[in-house]
Amino acid sequence: MDASEDNLPGSNGNDTFGISRSGQKSGSNDFVRKLFKILEGGQYTHIVQWTEDGDSFVVLDTNAFTTQILPQHFKHSNFSSFVRQLNKYDFHKIKRTTEEKQNSQYGEHSWEFKHPHFKIHDEEQLDNIKRKSAMQKKFLLYENTVLLKQNAENGVVVDSAADMIFNNTVSKSKFHQLKRKVEALDQEVNYLKNENYELKLGHQKSQSKYNTLLDNLISTKEFSNVLVTNFNVLVNSLTSQGLEIPANLTFNATMPTTHTVKSTQSPQMSSAVPTLPVRKSSNIDSGPPSTTPHMILDHPILRPGFNVLLVEDDSICIQLCSKFLMKYGCTVEVVTDGLAAISTLEKFRYDLVLMDIVMPNLDGATATSIVRSFDNHTPIIAMTGNIEDQDLVTYLQHGMNDILAKPFTKDDLHSMLIRYLRNRVPLSEQRSELSSKTPPSPPLPHSSDVSNLTREEPPIKKQHV
Amino acid sequence: MSSIPTPEGVINWDTLNEIVSMDEDSPDFSKNLIIQYFDQAATTFDQIQEELDGKCELEQLASLGHFLRGSSAALGLQRIAWACERIQNLGRKREGSIRGQTVPDSHYAQLITEALAYARTEFIAAKAELSAFYGSEL
Repeated sequence: MDASEDNLPGSNGNDTFGISRSGQKSGSNDFVRKLFKILEGGQYTHIVQWTEDGDSFVVLDTNAFTTQILPQHFKHSNFSSFVRQLNKYDFHKIKRTTEEKQNSQYGEHSWEFKHPHFKIHDEEQLDNIKRKSAMQKKFLLYENTVLLKQNAENGVVVDSAADMIFNNTVSKSKFHQLKRKVEALDQEVNYLKNENYELKLGHQKSQSKYNTLLDNLISTKEFSNVLVTNFNVLVNSLTSQGLEIPANLTFNATMPTTHTVKSTQSPQMSSAVPTLPVRKSSNIDSGPPSTTPHMILDHPILRPGFNVLLVEDDSICIQLCSKFLMKYGCTVEVVTDGLAAISTLEKFRYDLVLMDIVMPNLDGATATSIVRSFDNHTPIIAMTGNIEDQDLVTYLQHGMNDILAKPFTKDDLHSMLIRYLRNRVPLSEQRSELSSKTPPSPPLPHSSDVSNLTREEPPIKKQHV
Repeated sequence: MSSIPTPEGVINWDTLNEIVSMDEDSPDFSKNLIIQYFDQAATTFDQIQEELDGKCELEQLASLGHFLRGSSAALGLQRIAWACERIQNLGRKREGSIRGQTVPDSHYAQLITEALAYARTEFIAAKAELSAFYGSEL
């Protein structure tokens, strides 16, 4: 509307001076008179002064003005309040381009204000400076539309303001249209979420069915292995007693089963598979195999793919231990001190942690106690040569699960892995299962908003879409 | 030097054979480890000597002993490991004390010097035995 309005949003509020709005022409512009007096007094010419022409004044140093003049004469220290007040008396800020600002004789950051009746040494004219008539412009936003309430006075100005606002707003019908569209999209999103959820559920069910089937298959296979070996014993003893048995009868029964099992099995079980055929062939060659089936049955299964964090500072021990671990199908990541172990475990999850005790920066026991403050699940095994009773107690008190005494053999390590990882599914597999359950889809915009909606609203039925 | 008996044999072949069997997957795995170990051992011996000649902090000596003990034991070099354990324990004053006497740090330092000399001898012996095993000078 006017020049200074741009800089001063909300120019309706904060009448800091509490000037009465009734009559009293001379008394009603105390603010302006005060300002006039300050300028005429010439006490602060380095802060605020008349311009050369004398028909406007300029604030040279807004900081000094705010901290010195305002508190002293206007009882506040808010420059924008001051400008707002000026604006109420219809003073206008003289706008300048950047270039003009730079070349201004009053400095780049000076503010110049002007009023047609506000002139140097001209006190009489001050009577003509009046507070602009109170004009309320309230833009009330009702549910779907914009209403403009206005005071009848100064109607022309307000009309132009109203025009401006109307030109920048959407029509009611358009708004409704958009609203309907958003609602429809919301419903669609909800429907898709539901569908996705149901798919996940279905997938989970079939996954568990698949797992049970697999387990059944494995146990069946193991059982048939026992049968086959027993059968072979029988055949052997019969042969040794001189009974003739057709040669092809012996192994044909076993081989196809192992093959089919092998091909249908998911890769996770592959660790169990290779041991069986090998053992069998050796059994067949070498006499009484009666104990081996039990061995196979009792032999605990360690799935491949476990991810182990090795915390160890000695490079030889690192190489050795990683080699053993990889031999057992584990993937290994190595960090070389307790601090690194903590920060790694904060970011990633592992199936198992092997932790040396004596290390630079932070020892393994202390590191473990810190890790335990955010991770209570990951098994942490101490690897150490110090295995005196008191040490052992300390390790366990710090939250370590077990102790693997150094130096350890491959078998020592294996039994430790078995103890903590038997019957477990490697995290990497769990993750890939999870990610395969959720079909890849582009992320929804404002997905958090949408999920909030779904939580608040009852799930929308499929028929809706 | 200690009540704990010295192990029989320079090398514990049960331990080392297990590592040698890893050569199946990656040839020279064990040999490379051994070479690295000899390097590490020589460096650590020097560090122990330096500490003995310099500040002679028992803590630091114990820590060096512990460090080399780990890899020695892991590779089956049991006599070096044994000597390192002595150094570690002497550094912590867990052995070598004389009943009814307060002994100065220099007493432990002296015992550590002896243990270090023993470790160096065993180091040479181990090197010879393993060079013969791999059929090349290590």
